[in-house]
Amino acid sequence: MKNEKFPCLIILVFFLLIFFKTSVFAESSYVLPYPSSMPGSLSYKLHLIYENISKYWYFGDFGQFDYNLKMTDKYLVESKTLFEYKQYLLGYKALQKSDQYFISALPNLIRAERNGKNSFQGVAELKGTAQKHTEVLSKLQQEVPQNFIWTPEDAKPTNLNLKDAIDKSIEIRNKYL
Amino acid sequence: MKIAVYALYFLFLLAFTFFSYLFIDPNLIYLKNLYTGIAFSNRLIVTLIYFFAVLVFFGFYFIFINYFKKKIFVRKDFVIILIMTVTGLIFSYPAILSYDIFNYIATSKVAFFYHENPYILMPIQFVGDPLLLFTHAANKIALYAPFWILLTSIPFFVGFGNFILTLFSLKILNVVFYLLTILLLYRISKNIYSVAIFAFNPLVIIETIISSHNDIVMMCLALFAIILVQKKKYLIASLFLLFSILIKYSTIFLIPVFIYMIYSKVKEKGLSMEKTYLLPTISMVIIFLLSPLREEMYPWYATWFLTFSCLLRSKFVFIATSTLSLGLLLRYLPYMYLGSYAFPTPLLRIIFTVMPVVIGSSYYWYKIKKV
Repeated sequence: MKNEKFPCLIILVFFLLIFFKTSVFAESSYVLPYPSSMPGSLSYKLHLIYENISKYWYFGDFGQFDYNLKMTDKYLVESKTLFEYKQYLLGYKALQKSDQYFISALPNLIRAERNGKNSFQGVAELKGTAQKHTEVLSKLQQEVPQNFIWTPEDAKPTNLNLKDAIDKSIEIRNKYL
Repeated sequence: MKIAVYALYFLFLLAFTFFSYLFIDPNLIYLKNLYTGIAFSNRLIVTLIYFFAVLVFFGFYFIFINYFKKKIFVRKDFVIILIMTVTGLIFSYPAILSYDIFNYIATSKVAFFYHENPYILMPIQFVGDPLLLFTHAANKIALYAPFWILLTSIPFFVGFGNFILTLFSLKILNVVFYLLTILLLYRISKNIYSVAIFAFNPLVIIETIISSHNDIVMMCLALFAIILVQKKKYLIASLFLLFSILIKYSTIFLIPVFIYMIYSKVKEKGLSMEKTYLLPTISMVIIFLLSPLREEMYPWYATWFLTFSCLLRSKFVFIATSTLSLGLLLRYLPYMYLGSYAFPTPLLRIIFTVMPVVIGSSYYWYKIKKV
């Protein structure tokens, strides 16, 4: 009797698993930084100056790679935070900056390889970044409106195609996955 | 008699150099032909040899100091002993007690070979670099200040990419600063006895000529800054103090003393030599004693105050500093024997460091009481 019930139980569990299946993605262990100061504040302007100066501190192929990676992370977090506060224009601009820094990271690794440095770790790091960014962007995609018309007080309205922008950002990062 | 002392001392130094090669790291591919592994497989014997070698070193030190004090040894003898000390030990294996010299080379390589910022990138990030096999702090960004990194470019370029050549060029660089420090001390004191107290202190010799720590560079520049203050060249003096700080940061604590010295000079307050060098000695002793708060009381940190304390001409200071130097060199014994930093090594280290100081001080007080 006991033996007859056992296969039935397995079949039941199997069907339950099929019917109640949910998509579970493995989350990357890559850690993004905390949001720093946001546009509009004085500290943000000081941060921009610091960023421009620190570009020279991060000299060398790996140094520049690190700098671009740091910046792409920073602006992604900034963009995410701004989108959450419905500051779509600023969030959109931050996302574009993040994309730009992300694109600029890889050529430094290529240069490093050409200069005889083993860039294996860098490639792995870039992949990790791309994966984490994609996770964040995919979540954002569901939270922000597809289009948004930004109407400032004294200027022409701007039509922001947020969905396309996020799609493009994901596409840029997916190339490295 | 003198010749016999010289001969014995030089033979001892050569033996110590030979002994140092027993400690070659098994991963140091550049010296694999000289690797024996004796230091790691015969810990008790090696520890005992080191212990007796340190005692003999101090034996020679006390003989020399006694002879200089009694004027049996004069300036010529000083030069002979100095030449013997440098030539006898310059070719010793440097990583017998500390691996810092490899860190210096690795940091230098990050900056001047890979052209990367060593304050951002760690040597470990350069996968496949042979230095990673034996560099112990490869997982840290540059620990030293920028002027030191800049100075290491000299041995790096002189080495022409050859590790052994770079290693010994770095040792020579530190020896040059050791000799400059001695020269400066002589210019200040005009007393060969005071200079001998510093120059032939076994801790200074071992940590500078053998282990090649950069503390001597930092102290040489700081000493020169103080001399310049005495000569009322305040701007250049400040510049040299800055250079010193930019070697290893520790001399930043000399700034208050430095300001006080300038103030005294401007106000025409005459300071005796003892008083002038007492303040930097105290300042450096305090930093030395506080060093465990940051990391650990490393024996070579004693160079910070030994550079100034030799000018104080005090018997008590001499006994205190020489016994502490002995204690600090004995501090290496527990790890050398046990091969681990776990308990009881930390406790034994404290005991070995403190014991000679307690014995030395007790002897001093006993002598004073007797008088």
